[in-house]
Amino acid sequence: MNPQEFDQKLVEKIKEANISPKPRWYFLLKNYVIWAAGILALLVGAVAVSVIIYLWRYNGWETRVETHKSLWEFFLLTLPYFWIIFLGIFIFILYYNLKHTKKGYRYPVYLIAIFSVLASMVLGSLFYFLGVGQKIDDILGERAPLYGTVLNRQMAFWFNPQEGRLVGIIAGDVVDNNFYLIDPAGNVWQVSGRANNDHNFPDFLKIGEPVNIIGQVVAADKFRAEIIRPLVPGRGFFSSPDMRGHRERCLKGDCLPPPPLLPPNDLRR
Amino acid sequence: MVDDLGAQNLSDAELVKLTLENQSNFLYLVDRYKIKLMNYVRRLTNINDADAEDILQEVFIKVYLNLNDFNPDLKFSSWIYRITHNQVISSHRKLKARPEGYAVNIDDKSALNLAADIDIIAGTDLEITKQNINKVLNSLDRKYRDILILKFLEEKNYQEISDIIRKPNGTVASIINKAKQEFKKEFIRHKIIL
Repeated sequence: MNPQEFDQKLVEKIKEANISPKPRWYFLLKNYVIWAAGILALLVGAVAVSVIIYLWRYNGWETRVETHKSLWEFFLLTLPYFWIIFLGIFIFILYYNLKHTKKGYRYPVYLIAIFSVLASMVLGSLFYFLGVGQKIDDILGERAPLYGTVLNRQMAFWFNPQEGRLVGIIAGDVVDNNFYLIDPAGNVWQVSGRANNDHNFPDFLKIGEPVNIIGQVVAADKFRAEIIRPLVPGRGFFSSPDMRGHRERCLKGDCLPPPPLLPPNDLRR
Repeated sequence: MVDDLGAQNLSDAELVKLTLENQSNFLYLVDRYKIKLMNYVRRLTNINDADAEDILQEVFIKVYLNLNDFNPDLKFSSWIYRITHNQVISSHRKLKARPEGYAVNIDDKSALNLAADIDIIAGTDLEITKQNINKVLNSLDRKYRDILILKFLEEKNYQEISDIIRKPNGTVASIINKAKQEFKKEFIRHKIIL
């Protein structure tokens, strides 16, 4: 290599192509975009964690003996898989962005991976205590399509009258342990408490409260309850426009006669 | 523009700053690195002089274009070696390097350092040892060869290598150890064949 010739060629090339250094803001912006995407992924992941905690805390631990054959089955069937996958995706995005920051390569993969998981968990727990998980579930229950079958599969699980599980909203006054209930498909049920004198309905039984019930179908539109629990995740579902309409009609005494029972998994929302 | 004498006393980072103010100063950086980088390019790949010069020209154009991206927390030499390393890999794919082996330019000191560190017997004839080292380096996997070149021929420390190949220090240490083992194994094998 002839050093002077090399310099000359280089200078000519730079002049010919009219090359000049890219501006500083270009690199700053690139760096900020990576950090901003990482922070956004952390926030979304944390929201997912808060929803997972919310869904899992109220997934029916107290009735698991009545609803599932074993603890293992209960554990597997009640995991909020959608949110776990969603969280996994955003943890990966966070990890990817951290790895691609200016000094991200200096840290071992496992350290960045552990940090990404822990940061999402810690912030997600904080979000849960601030009520973010509940808020998100309420909003999605009210507005998201496929809520009952994808976002909160417990809704589908609990809407299976033939298997002895019913979910719905109380549509009228509770009189002598009896009340009307509208299920997610809009069917109206007459629910009665068990004839057993030991059974007392708890305080949450009032108009507009969403509940889930363990019991059995005793007639086409009648369900005898053995256990009634307030519905916690999924409450927003019963505030959706359709459900509000049903409820208002019922309150006006305009409940339609119950249609035939729908197949158990016919949860369109 | 600074004069030649003034430029000699300036650090790389200062020259980068001055280049951003006056583009003519870029040639001081070019002068400072072109021979070192040419050697590095020739050690990494088996292309001819003209192709190596083309690669080097591309490297300096990239450096020039990205001067504002240089982070003074990093050594300028690590940054420019990283750009060179990436450019060689990218050009290597395009040029489809010849299969006959690499003309790794090894000086006496590097050869002795490598032999001592890997615990191989250098032999009385240094030229033969260098040829053997060359053969063994050529037979190694690219990942191991590149890192041994950086460590023993370019004499970079772990942190610099980490910044050049963008891997954590621990990973660098582990690749170097593995590369040394592979080198020793291959060295013994080649000596037997010879």
